[in-house]
Amino acid sequence: MQVSKKIVVLGHFGVGKTSLIRRFVEDSFSDNYKVSIGVHITKKVVEISVGHEISLILWDLEGTDDLKTIRDAYLLGTHGVVFVFDVTRPSTFQGLNTDLEIVKSKMPSLPLLVVGNKADLVVKKDLEEVLSKNAIETDFLTSAKTGDAVNDMFLKLAKLLD
Amino acid sequence: MLKKYQEAYTTKNVQFVLTDLAGNILDSDQTFLPINKMGTIYDIHPFFYCFSSIATDLKTEVFFSCVHLNFDGKAYITDIKFIKKEEGVLIIISDYTQHYEEYQAIAQARNESIINGELIAIKNAELEEREKFKNSFIRNFSHELRNPLTSIISITKIISDTELTDQQQNMLSFLKESNANLKLLLDDIMSISMISSGRLVLRNNIFSLPQLVDLINFTYKARANESDLQFAIKSDKKIPEFVEGDRLRLFQIITNLLDNAFKYTNSGKVNLEIQFNQKRANKISLRFEVKDTGIGIPEDKIESIFESFSQLNQSSTKSKGTGLGLSIVKGLLQLMNSEIKVQSKPGKGSTFYFDIVLKQPIPNMTKPQVKMVAKKKETILKLRSDKKYKILLAEDDINVQTVLFKLLLDTKYFSIDVVSDGALVMEQLINDEYDLLLIDINLPNVTGDQVARLIRDFPFKNIKNIPIIGITAYAFEDNLKTIKSSGMNAILSKPFEHEELIKILFKYLK
Repeated sequence: MQVSKKIVVLGHFGVGKTSLIRRFVEDSFSDNYKVSIGVHITKKVVEISVGHEISLILWDLEGTDDLKTIRDAYLLGTHGVVFVFDVTRPSTFQGLNTDLEIVKSKMPSLPLLVVGNKADLVVKKDLEEVLSKNAIETDFLTSAKTGDAVNDMFLKLAKLLD
Repeated sequence: MLKKYQEAYTTKNVQFVLTDLAGNILDSDQTFLPINKMGTIYDIHPFFYCFSSIATDLKTEVFFSCVHLNFDGKAYITDIKFIKKEEGVLIIISDYTQHYEEYQAIAQARNESIINGELIAIKNAELEEREKFKNSFIRNFSHELRNPLTSIISITKIISDTELTDQQQNMLSFLKESNANLKLLLDDIMSISMISSGRLVLRNNIFSLPQLVDLINFTYKARANESDLQFAIKSDKKIPEFVEGDRLRLFQIITNLLDNAFKYTNSGKVNLEIQFNQKRANKISLRFEVKDTGIGIPEDKIESIFESFSQLNQSSTKSKGTGLGLSIVKGLLQLMNSEIKVQSKPGKGSTFYFDIVLKQPIPNMTKPQVKMVAKKKETILKLRSDKKYKILLAEDDINVQTVLFKLLLDTKYFSIDVVSDGALVMEQLINDEYDLLLIDINLPNVTGDQVARLIRDFPFKNIKNIPIIGITAYAFEDNLKTIKSSGMNAILSKPFEHEELIKILFKYLK
């Protein structure tokens, strides 16, 4: 049986969690924002090295600005976490370090990637300035719209989970 | 009635699936999901990949709400419960698709509204930042231009006093006109910048409306004569003598409208009419109407004429000016809680009008200061001198202005010129000779201490060495020290005795 790893994708609403997964799994993008409720689960098999595949079970959780309210059941058996924020909306990253503390307390010692999405909508230099001002360190700056860095991000996490 | 709601929260679609602890399906009632009874739970949907970690630690039950399942091309939104049983695990899948879709619609509206609000706030902050930068740039830019312009104007004046050929005289008159236009442009830019940055504060004072009308009549009668136009002012008899409002800005609004009317009227007349609308308590509403027989405005251009730097009929050689006049009118009237309105027909002319509410002060309160001046007259006369001195009074407060003007004039030893704006002082000093400058510190546009610094740095001795007496309401010691360091000879703090003022004037007059 193929090795499968559960990844939960978290973050405030409207940051593009569903779009990132859709870009990764279906290589498509829609401008229409549809609010996700509950949890959507999709699967994608990735080859992390020649002949070595891993099955990623992606849990796209409903966005919330209070991570304490996430049901613990959703997090059961999680192997890795992607925390997404929207680089165009300060409300989604101003409390990021506190949000990450909550995530880490709920799922200690798990590989976690911090992702700033919608990077295509801002000037890189301005973005770096804003992130530095807010003491935010990111692992990836992605764009679900253009696909920029999306595959790299999931692939990196898959390798961390292997 | 409740049925439609009940349907959303109750479901006939509840499926029971029994598995062993390894996830092999032992039984399924197939209520709505046709599950392969020979398969494993992992084959149903990726969601059930969590089964192994659940089954390992399952004590009693684990519940998942709002789980999206796609099965045979159909989407379900379900609640799923895992319950520990003797045989392994009982899985109960309840289909609440309708209920959750309703919830989704509500969440959609809520989230969209929050996100849009955030994006609008970000956009507004960005625009505000840009506007702030623009206004600060304009302010600095126009201030910086004032110094060289003052020098240009003064040098123009010096040259004009020398012997010149006809050709040189001609060129000089162009230079003077260009200077005046540039100065007008700077003043207008300053006004529009202050209005749009919210820095312009109205200064309400009691003033004589008929006097203001007389001043306008005097100014524009002369202009009408020059332009072969007729000019008349019609003023309602019910209009009181004294009103309370921002005289300077009201004057600016009316003169901007009149300037505009003269600019676009080639023949016929320009009229100003002041109508009494109504009085409520101590407030009166007045309508000011400027009517011309000019070129008129096409309907589709009416909105745009109030935009900055807009000029109708750009090709017209007569359309001189900054293109800011009507924009300033619009902004000032907004500050006064009023609105400029216009009716116009191309070829027939235009009517610009607005209604404003002014306070009508209690009659007894309007004149006591003048009486006080009269009482003090004898004391002043004791200090008389034989020479008549020329004083420039720079003061924007109309009450103080009136009192000081009368006080000094009554001594019969002073002739007085008055300006209300700090930016006008230098020009006045260059264009005329004065023995002393009496200046308020808190003047609009350029403050009294800034003016004093400009004067002390000026290259020409007659201006550089003029005695400057500051008057201020900033009575704190450190403020006075700072102000005096600007180069003023003395500072008088408000309120002051008349004798004190006269004493100080004579002390510094030569």
